[in-house]
Amino acid sequence: PPSVSLPHSFMLKSSEQARRVQAEAMVMQEKLCATHRLCHPEELALLGHSLGIPWASLRSCSSRDLQLLGCLRQLQAGLMLYQGLLQALAGISPALSSSVDLLRLDVADFATTVWQQMEDLGVAPAAQPTLGTVPAFTSAFQRQAGGVLVASHLQDFLELALRALRYLSRP
Amino acid sequence: EKCGHISLSAPIVRLGDPVTASCTVSQSCSHLEPEPQILWKLGAELLQHRGKQQTQPDGSQQSVITLPSLNSTHTFLHCYLNWSNSLQLLDQAELWAGHPPAMPYNLSCLMNLTTNSLTCQWEPGADTHLPTNFTLKSFKSRGDCQTKEDPIKDCVPADGQSYCSIPRKHLLLYQNMVIWVQAENALGTSLSPQLCLDPMDVVKLEPPTLSALDPNSEVARPRPDCLWLRWEPWKPSFYMNQKCELRYRPQLGEASWAQVGPLPSRTTRYELCGLRAATAYALQMRCIRLHLPGDWSSWSPSLELQTT
Repeated sequence: PPSVSLPHSFMLKSSEQARRVQAEAMVMQEKLCATHRLCHPEELALLGHSLGIPWASLRSCSSRDLQLLGCLRQLQAGLMLYQGLLQALAGISPALSSSVDLLRLDVADFATTVWQQMEDLGVAPAAQPTLGTVPAFTSAFQRQAGGVLVASHLQDFLELALRALRYLSRP
Repeated sequence: EKCGHISLSAPIVRLGDPVTASCTVSQSCSHLEPEPQILWKLGAELLQHRGKQQTQPDGSQQSVITLPSLNSTHTFLHCYLNWSNSLQLLDQAELWAGHPPAMPYNLSCLMNLTTNSLTCQWEPGADTHLPTNFTLKSFKSRGDCQTKEDPIKDCVPADGQSYCSIPRKHLLLYQNMVIWVQAENALGTSLSPQLCLDPMDVVKLEPPTLSALDPNSEVARPRPDCLWLRWEPWKPSFYMNQKCELRYRPQLGEASWAQVGPLPSRTTRYELCGLRAATAYALQMRCIRLHLPGDWSSWSPSLELQTT
């Protein structure tokens, strides 16, 4: 497609939306630490691997090799993946459920924002990506540990997204 | 079998409209007298000689009455039989009169970042004198709200309330939605003008929190005409880029506010100089979303500081 540029309003709103989701992921992480003493995602890497928790890549969003369309697609697909992961955490624990629900709704809305922007630019894939396969957490501990990992990685994912949006916002 | 039965042209009419009613007295009930007199009462008023009474083919007696203009909003119509010089009540019907709903107006909405719900309020319009249901209706849209995407569940306010809150799970943040109010009663339906808004563009922003800084920990020799303070935005709005305004004035006397701005939405150290020495000042701050639509928060409660 001809050179595509993103409207300034999209940059502003999606950046705010990313910061909002980031803030909520941080709240979720704090609650998991306070309520279940699960405070160190780095200690759960092996468990995450064994549970088969997938991670979203934003390779096309890195400033070294930024490809706008690829970045938008990876951002949208990543948000759909996290939406699915958050959905799989349903029933994590009474103290967390409202945070997880709110975070899932905000991730879903952010995915919609990106998807509709791609549609407006005429670069949206024919079919919207599905939530994808996510692990089946079989115990409360797995859901809570999975929650720590998801919240942690979602924040990293959004930090990359914010950096890309800031990079794209430059005149 | 009912002794007497009232039939109405309509139980609910517009105020001042006519109502026609008939009262049919069965033969089994009226057999005691060949042509018993049927009488009507509207509320407490006996309607003398107003009914046109006839014998029906089946032998029952029927009286038909037309009330040319029903002017009370809620009343009862009674059918009596004049039996052995005593009025016997056979049946009664409830009558309502009012107006179709006026168009609701002044619809406005605010997004609450604490409850994450969108609360809309409106003016219901003139009293209809009839039970009237209000419903907040909406659907998800995009761009300039010309397309209808997903419908949103109706929001039904509590009885008598003119506001309703759409919960977070029904909202799509950062996209436009169309909202309006429907008013409905037995005499008709009316719709308010539609709003096209993104919930995040109508956030009810709360003011930041101002706090004092100890001058001695800030500078070696604090200037007598300066004050030191810090502030941070309202926590639920942390992620929003905001700009703010600071206003201040001496606490005593009637001085008007002096104002400083735009200022960043958070700072750990701010020095305000050019003030009168040894004077107690009141300081307030408000903020607004930066670069994106939004309204000013209210002014914060006063922070009271004294210059040295």
